[in-house]
Amino acid sequence: MNRALDRQPATPQREWSRFKFPGSLIKYGIWLSILVFLAYTVKYLDIPLDRLLGMFGRLGSTLANRYYPPDIEYIMDLDYLEYVVETIQMAYLGALFGLLASIPLGWFGSYNMTPSRLYVFPIARLISMGCRSVHEMIWAILFVTIIGFGMLPGVLALTFFCTGFAAKLFAEEIEAIDMGPVDAMRASGANLFQIMLFGVFPQVRVAFTGIAIYTWDVAFRAATVVGFFGAGGMGWYLKRNILQIETERVAAILLSIIFLVLISEVLSAWARARVMKMK
Amino acid sequence: MNKALAPPTAAKPTVDDIIRSQRRTRYARGAFFTLLLIMVVWSVKVTVIDDTDWARIGSLANVLKATNRFIGIDFSLFPTLIGPAIETLMIACLGTLLGVILCIPAAWFGAHNITPYKPITYPLARLMMTLSRSIHEIVWALFFVAAVGLGPLAGVLALAVRSIGFIAKMTAEAIEDIDPGPVDAIRATGGNDFQVVIYGILPQVLPQVLSVVVFEWEINIRRSAILGLVGAGGLGLVFFRQMNTFNYHGVTTVILAILLLILLGEVFSYFARKAVI
Repeated sequence: MNRALDRQPATPQREWSRFKFPGSLIKYGIWLSILVFLAYTVKYLDIPLDRLLGMFGRLGSTLANRYYPPDIEYIMDLDYLEYVVETIQMAYLGALFGLLASIPLGWFGSYNMTPSRLYVFPIARLISMGCRSVHEMIWAILFVTIIGFGMLPGVLALTFFCTGFAAKLFAEEIEAIDMGPVDAMRASGANLFQIMLFGVFPQVRVAFTGIAIYTWDVAFRAATVVGFFGAGGMGWYLKRNILQIETERVAAILLSIIFLVLISEVLSAWARARVMKMK
Repeated sequence: MNKALAPPTAAKPTVDDIIRSQRRTRYARGAFFTLLLIMVVWSVKVTVIDDTDWARIGSLANVLKATNRFIGIDFSLFPTLIGPAIETLMIACLGTLLGVILCIPAAWFGAHNITPYKPITYPLARLMMTLSRSIHEIVWALFFVAAVGLGPLAGVLALAVRSIGFIAKMTAEAIEDIDPGPVDAIRATGGNDFQVVIYGILPQVLPQVLSVVVFEWEINIRRSAILGLVGAGGLGLVFFRQMNTFNYHGVTTVILAILLLILLGEVFSYFARKAVI
């Protein structure tokens, strides 16, 4: 900038622009390629753009005609409340087992604390990535085919899902610790467990609690629909009513899901704020 | 915990006080963990012991046998996987893009320093975000399949609506954290609201927002791989078909394909986020 001011311009009429030649070319090139890609994608996926326009009207009329008066009595039923409790239990167990499994995984998968960078670290990372990448629905379907309908496959699916989810966050948290205490303990001859228990754990305790609460939140959200493919809880109710085209009941169930998730979100936000204050 | 340790009056706490408060925290903690344990036992009893049909599962050998069916790869499926894999990727891209467009009003209304009329627009935006996040993508997909019919469009719309929550929340938080200096400067020179957003706010939050968008895109690949289960195209449809024809090796193959796709997305997003920040 300064240099441009010092040097007397040979052509004062030269127009100023924010991006100079190569930069501007790259910029417009990127925009153009995004547009081309977009057009190609719409063509490849064969998206009927004309239907998109009438969508909102259709959506509104569908909602008003078929879903509108939600069948509230249906979800106030004791039978349904039992399913709600089941969902909460499923989410609770899944999150708990997942968290328990993810503590060693997070330890082994953190680059600074892993027992062996060459062998243990990549394996732990691979396991946690595998658990995380497979969607909870796919886990649920797999476990339902292996051990049948019921809540156990739901719990197992949530366990695997939460393991992958929490292990990554745990590992990241461990990687961010202050290495001073760890080095001091290592110098005084502590073994791996002692270092973990007295050097690392006190530093990440609060963060772990926050992650645990967050994991519960995510697990609950997943648990509300995991039953969709036969793994117990509210999802099964939802699926049944969708198959029976009981749209007003579906609307009521969806409302109850939103309501419960909202409550769980508020509670977990409150708990996390409290935990963070203890730090 | 610290509050319990602090003395109620200005007087210096005696040793007795400290010991008493420590004991109190210990009791509270003990009660908390006992409660957790009771809940575990109760949940295990209800879900695992009572609800499970142990007779159907049989012995561990049966479970292993059932698991064993999945081990193996169906190589003949490979050529038919490429098309759906590209479709999955494209659904994720379009869904994220549409989600970004849809989240502009939500982020604008949801950041409390630029929201136009706080008592109405701020809760409205928060409601939008929560609604979008609290409904699972499967449910959104069902909804849109009912509205626009089977096909990738329903998947794109489901992903877009589902993405609003996260992107808008992070964007709104980024906007709330900006340096007000440039905004005030532009307002002082007579810039209107639109110019303030374009020249004062956008340059400050753009790197963060781009990184969030790339992250959401990565998650959307994961999501779009299962939308086919309810008829929204992509790899999920192949998965569903293999599952319904009991071709368990094919199921494993599809899952591996999904993993590969997600791995690619993760690598790309890692470098993209690095380049952005």
